[in-house]
Amino acid sequence: MTAAPLLEVKSLGKRFPTRAGREPSPWVIQDLSFAVRPGELVTIIGPSGAGKSTLLNMIAQIDTASAGEIVFDGAVVASHDARALRPGFDRKIGYVTQDDNLLPWRTTIDNVLFPIEVQGRLDGKMRAHVEMLIGAVGLAGYERYYPHELSGGMRKRAALIRTLAYDPPVILMDEPFAAVDAQTRTQLQADLLKLWELGRKTIIFVTHDITEAIALGDRTLVLSRQPTHVAAEHLIPIPRPHNVADIFAVEGFAAIYERIRAAIQ
Amino acid sequence: MTDVTLTTTTEAGELSRKWVIFTGRLVLALALLLAWEIGARTMGAIFFAPPLDVAMRLVELVRNGQMLTDIVATLRVSALGFVIACIAGVLLPFLLRRSPRLDAAVEPYIMASMGIPKYALAPWLILWFGIGDAPKLVVVVLMVFYIIYIATSAGIRGVDGRLIAMARIAGASERVIAREIIWKSLLPFFFTGLKVALPRAVSATIVGEFLVASEGVGHYIENARQTSDTVGVFAGIVVATVLVLVINAAVNVIERRALAWRPVEREMQV
Repeated sequence: MTAAPLLEVKSLGKRFPTRAGREPSPWVIQDLSFAVRPGELVTIIGPSGAGKSTLLNMIAQIDTASAGEIVFDGAVVASHDARALRPGFDRKIGYVTQDDNLLPWRTTIDNVLFPIEVQGRLDGKMRAHVEMLIGAVGLAGYERYYPHELSGGMRKRAALIRTLAYDPPVILMDEPFAAVDAQTRTQLQADLLKLWELGRKTIIFVTHDITEAIALGDRTLVLSRQPTHVAAEHLIPIPRPHNVADIFAVEGFAAIYERIRAAIQ
Repeated sequence: MTDVTLTTTTEAGELSRKWVIFTGRLVLALALLLAWEIGARTMGAIFFAPPLDVAMRLVELVRNGQMLTDIVATLRVSALGFVIACIAGVLLPFLLRRSPRLDAAVEPYIMASMGIPKYALAPWLILWFGIGDAPKLVVVVLMVFYIIYIATSAGIRGVDGRLIAMARIAGASERVIAREIIWKSLLPFFFTGLKVALPRAVSATIVGEFLVASEGVGHYIENARQTSDTVGVFAGIVVATVLVLVINAAVNVIERRALAWRPVEREMQV
């Protein structure tokens, strides 16, 4: 439990540029700090508009920070200068966004292989690894389908394993399962946990669903309203492996659910 | 039982629909030919060459090899000009994309120069480049460049920024992003530009050949006009039209292959 953190967010702040002739824009995020240990699955939950996506964008380095810093494995990541941003921090930080962002002109397999291909790491071993992942999430037989020929859940799975396949040490997930129906979501959560048990990646998973936060996480951070900071932190006292479908029947679920719900204003 | 009957009726319906369209097209073609013939008879062969004479001339031109020589001459200029214009019209927006400030500085000049009537430049171009292929080439390049440039620029603006962010995070270099994300997503725009530009490239060559040429479809038409050979003028127009139609069909085939992934191509057909 005392392992050195892999990723540390220190007093992070964000305000968007002020438009001419207006009041200085308010802080969206202010003095936000937390740390994540290697192999940990941290869920972040907060009211809508709390700047959850903005937070992940800053960690993924596709958006600048206005204050504070992000430290990854001893190196400072966050930049206040847009031109100095290094998206993905040299392939060390993966990002599964709300939209699947599959390339419509590529088939499932070519979409999943895209990062590996652009990193010049495509070989027989990688291909076999990707085929294993495709099988693990039930996409076998759909390798040659284009994204528009897949269901919403299948597209989510393809987007998920696209990031898992190239194996970045940290993966950010921004409500990746928000837009699918409840049944598919449970299945996707189970798939994610299965894949996580295989490799024990470090995952930061943002959600607005308390049940999802408990079902997936080792620990849940509750964000405040704007200006956003970490309002509370809860260890999930449910032993691994979690059974997503029956999570609410597990002893201790009701208590932790109630505590998290109370912490969200 | 009901299912079977239903299927056959739809298939029969589909078939008869195709026949109706085909017959309709045939009737229209015959009507046009008839109007052409009537025109020739009422206005006289000097203004309106009779279709049969034109057909015979076409056969003659194929036989003596004149048609092939002229088509090759015209295609040589249009194709070369087209390729040069396409490369410039695609590369320039890609380069300007990297520097929004340079883009903003350059754009008004490009738009202003687009307003220059290209054919008005012909005398000046002849002065500069003589009477070879060069002045025609310049006109073709100018005609095509703007269309491809505007189509490509619009395509670049339409690229989904989220896909670019995804690629960057995955470690893609700017070159890979240009090739794999931007180029692929602007292809539909590019093909639209291509289809608008191709007939113009051929037209520009032909008009150029009216002015300066020793061979080519335009030269043949102009030559026939000067000798009051109306049949020759009409034959030349037919050749030019067929040339454009064939090129367009070829572009359509290439487009269908390149954009095979698009859902519209397969599902939206009524």
